[in-house]
Amino acid sequence: MRIYNNYNNNEIMDRKEILAGLIEVLRTVRTVDPAKLENVTEETDFLTDMNTPSTELINIAAKVEQKFDIEFEDEDIDEMGSKVKDVIDLIIKVKARTEAERGE
Amino acid sequence: MRSKITSPDQIKDSLVGDPPEHWLLHGPTKRYVDAYHWHKPNVGIVASYTPTAQNVEDHFDVFRGVDQIESFTQASVVSCGTFLQCKKMGVVPETLAELFVPTFISIGNVSFHSYLEKGQTFVNIGFIKFYKWRQMVCEGRIYRVPQSLDLDDYFKDFDEQRLLAYDLGSDFTLIAELFDITGRGIKKEIFENLQQLQQQRNNG
Repeated sequence: MRIYNNYNNNEIMDRKEILAGLIEVLRTVRTVDPAKLENVTEETDFLTDMNTPSTELINIAAKVEQKFDIEFEDEDIDEMGSKVKDVIDLIIKVKARTEAERGE
Repeated sequence: MRSKITSPDQIKDSLVGDPPEHWLLHGPTKRYVDAYHWHKPNVGIVASYTPTAQNVEDHFDVFRGVDQIESFTQASVVSCGTFLQCKKMGVVPETLAELFVPTFISIGNVSFHSYLEKGQTFVNIGFIKFYKWRQMVCEGRIYRVPQSLDLDDYFKDFDEQRLLAYDLGSDFTLIAELFDITGRGIKKEIFENLQQLQQQRNNG
């Protein structure tokens, strides 16, 4: 059984794993309705499908950083879309960048 | 108007002593900060304002609660956020204003304990709870200042511990407590896209 709480940088994550980790993060966000997390897919839109306030995306991003041991730049957040797949794409991109910077 | 900042080299290590118009670029009738008295960039700020006759017009000579929130936000989120972002990017406030729209995002609870009349100087005591990706969350208090107090002198030895403890003399009067005051510098093009999206939603 994998533990998602602290991803090891050498661990290879696939999109399903990231989605599962992301849903764990979303369960800790006060403004996200837990009922709406039951059917989350990559196409789910935070703003239109989950009614997440756009301002909450920053808080979600901060929690995602901790969860996945990555660090977003200002531009990453500026360019982040509102769909779940956009966040997964960003996590993969930043994870790769972080690992390259750390020489892993 | 005092000469503006034209080079990042002119930005000091803190806002203390800088004219607020260098950092709050909107017009003077809506600028609710007169002076910065204490500032530690990643920690917080103490800034004062004295309501004018124009500020209290049509409101019983009393400075409105909503204007207190605005003053606190200008002193904390806008001033501190602009300072940190200018330092990070190595630009002056006017350049920053060309790139980003300073946006009031949300406020948490605000409790009012007393009120402020025309000519009564108050201090905004604000500390930074969160700052990332040009979004800043501050909280703090507003206190009415004892008459004739030299605020620069009073706060010259202030420190982080005293800020967090609101360690002020008993002759300061608590006016308001403010929580989760949040603002963000949004990229101009993203802001415009958001406006268009909202327009489309409104049009059905």
